[in-house]
Amino acid sequence: MNNHTINLGGLAILIADSNSYLRRITHGMLRGFGANKLFEVEHYLGVVQVLTGQKIDVMLCDTRLPPEGGLSLTRTIRRTLGNENRTMPILMMTTDSREATIKMARDAGVNMVIAKPMSPKALYDRLAWIAFTPRNFVDTETYFGPDRRFKIEGYPGGVGRRRGDQAVQVAEEVGPALAQDDIDSLFGAARSGQGQS
Amino acid sequence: MTKKTAAAARIFFVDTRFQRMARRPGGVPREKAIARAQVYIEELKPEFADWLNKKLQEMAAAVRRIEGDASQLDEAYESCCQLRDAGAAMGFELTTVISNNLCELLEAIKAGSPYHKETMECHIDALHLTSKAPYCNLRADQVPEMTRGLRRVVERANTSPSTSSK
Repeated sequence: MNNHTINLGGLAILIADSNSYLRRITHGMLRGFGANKLFEVEHYLGVVQVLTGQKIDVMLCDTRLPPEGGLSLTRTIRRTLGNENRTMPILMMTTDSREATIKMARDAGVNMVIAKPMSPKALYDRLAWIAFTPRNFVDTETYFGPDRRFKIEGYPGGVGRRRGDQAVQVAEEVGPALAQDDIDSLFGAARSGQGQS
Repeated sequence: MTKKTAAAARIFFVDTRFQRMARRPGGVPREKAIARAQVYIEELKPEFADWLNKKLQEMAAAVRRIEGDASQLDEAYESCCQLRDAGAAMGFELTTVISNNLCELLEAIKAGSPYHKETMECHIDALHLTSKAPYCNLRADQVPEMTRGLRRVVERANTSPSTSSK
């Protein structure tokens, strides 16, 4: 089996975007990838209705989904106890790829962010990354979602990042990996080594 | 597989149905899947002109209503964003550039800048132009007079005394 191939047949995929034309484009791309069970909604309430009546396997959601926005929706899905879609992969589509927005998406619990307009390559590679790179889930008082401490070393067989794309970033470090004394002694050793040569 | 950390976080492994199913053999190989997706997008292109014209009418009407009713701002802004995003997806670069200008102007109005009717109208006219040949096929750098001129209009509107004083 080719590790770079994803099989979307039979998977229930939800596209949540208020832009009817971009919904159709995304739908077309996913059809091209082999998906055959697609749902489209244009607002928050539509997502709730679909999730209530249907098990969804992955959701592609726009950050500006009216009226509350995709990030608020993600937080609700992730933080609702007993919700069977709580761990569903969520791919957030956005035209706003500023670092602050990416961090907010990460902290809301999305699996990955993809910049609009999406290319078929970018979409395929991100879906493949989610499929082939499972991440732990973290449940704390303030966060429920995929482990935010990860790095993308490259998409499986993919094209890499576009300049405007930003995957969900590694969380901020809570402290230095080495104690300051250790760092000082390392620099000291390096300096004394230079002196000897 | 669950473990507790000092901060009482519960960390557990999840292999979702999506992940299990997507890894099955028998999927469409990447290159073929991408080529097929591009065919679907091409098939949608003829419908884009109709969608664009309809959306332009909606957007223009919403922008004009702002003058008398500021509550229309959100609807106008949403329409502009949709034009910007769809234009980029379908290769209508000028539509994206000009609707992005308009998005900036609307954001400034949201932040308290005054509504300049002429500034709005010249962008609406330019957007109508970009929906038709030959402009729909041109890049921004092929019509520098238009794009730079509109940019200057946006910058002037965003730095007008009444704006900067707010």
